[in-house]
Amino acid sequence: MLEHQLIQSTGFRNFGPVGAREGFAIRIRIPNYHGTRLSQLDGFDVTVDGVYYDHEINRFGIRDEVYTMAEMREETTARWGLAEWGEILVDKPGGLEPGVHKIEVLARIRYSYFPPDVHIFPMHAERYGTICIA
Amino acid sequence: MPGSFKYGVSTYSYVDDYGSVMTLEDAFDHIADTGATGIEILGEGQIEGFPNPSSQFLDRWFGLLDKYKLEPTNMCSWVDMRITLQRNLTIEEGAAELERDLRLAHQLGFKFLRPKFGVLSHDLMPEPQWEAYTERNLELAHELGVVICPEIHAPTPIKHEVVDGYINFIERTGTKNFGLMIDTGIFQDRPLTHWGSHQINEEARKHMEFLNGIKVPPEHFLDVAQYVVFIQAKFHDIDENLEDQNIPWKPVISAIKRSGYSGYLSSEYEGWRAPWRSIDQVRRQHALLRKLEREFDEGKFA
Repeated sequence: MLEHQLIQSTGFRNFGPVGAREGFAIRIRIPNYHGTRLSQLDGFDVTVDGVYYDHEINRFGIRDEVYTMAEMREETTARWGLAEWGEILVDKPGGLEPGVHKIEVLARIRYSYFPPDVHIFPMHAERYGTICIA
Repeated sequence: MPGSFKYGVSTYSYVDDYGSVMTLEDAFDHIADTGATGIEILGEGQIEGFPNPSSQFLDRWFGLLDKYKLEPTNMCSWVDMRITLQRNLTIEEGAAELERDLRLAHQLGFKFLRPKFGVLSHDLMPEPQWEAYTERNLELAHELGVVICPEIHAPTPIKHEVVDGYINFIERTGTKNFGLMIDTGIFQDRPLTHWGSHQINEEARKHMEFLNGIKVPPEHFLDVAQYVVFIQAKFHDIDENLEDQNIPWKPVISAIKRSGYSGYLSSEYEGWRAPWRSIDQVRRQHALLRKLEREFDEGKFA
């Protein structure tokens, strides 16, 4: 099962070849009370140790697929279930140092049943997470 | 004497716990142990593999209904009107969303389907296409024995053109397969301290004034009761003395009883999302609502 909070402990990791890491991943549960089409998400702003990574650039992985922001905005078939995790993929050559990091995520979820001017609803979560392997 | 209420619980009550510290079977156990007879679900939530659940899931679903002696009440669904940032659903596509959910609700044994329509304004006026894509599905809803019921939810009060629009639709079409769902959050008369997993700060309060309660007079329920088919018993915090901190249940129950409503009160806990808190909050609400119904029936208040 998932962890209770949005940002999961497990899955916080570097990706890319060891010695030439390309970035890091943050595993999250869906920032919503129900599953949705991927097009109902408008990306994730990430801040780690005070460094900001914009939602337009971060990618999203679920199951065996990775989506750019542009692809996710048009993805009306693939869905994210309530009990599934996804991961935010953040480019950062070299990755993160092993150890504890302060993670902030601002998930931008779209609700058709919210008024148009606030229909992209920000959901903020923060916590400490640990990178185990360089 | 008016009929008795039926008591149910929505799995929405267990958001955040569900899938982390609670399985589907745990939810059935918690719901059945309140003495409830009905389970309400979030379609794209509890249905694994939505919108095409596997036969294994269906077997499990019906097995759980049987084991815990619960009946499916309402299934919540959403019409993703703003399908992408670039475009809205057409009427045909909206009709297809609703058809998909009607068939799925029926397959799982639900009698009510609550679609969330897209809205255009801060008082939640639905986008105008709702009427056309709903009307196209009325015959199907009739064949399946499912009642479509959009919810009247804060910040929309009962005396409002949103509600008038739905009632006009019922009167114009003469349908028995469309009705109103009332969310009891509209009766909230004291401010919330938490909304979901967040403590409410002054900033949020400024942007979402309805968090302080829109204070619909419970008597207004009587004006629309003939159209009400389902009640989501929204609440946020009930203390150890069974005092609800936000919803004035006594006059609310009085009005609902006097209307003759004998359908479901389906618990929707929407308070602080600390792990496991929801479970006992739901139990407190059931104790409170049953106590008030009993006292009303005994003539202890009117």
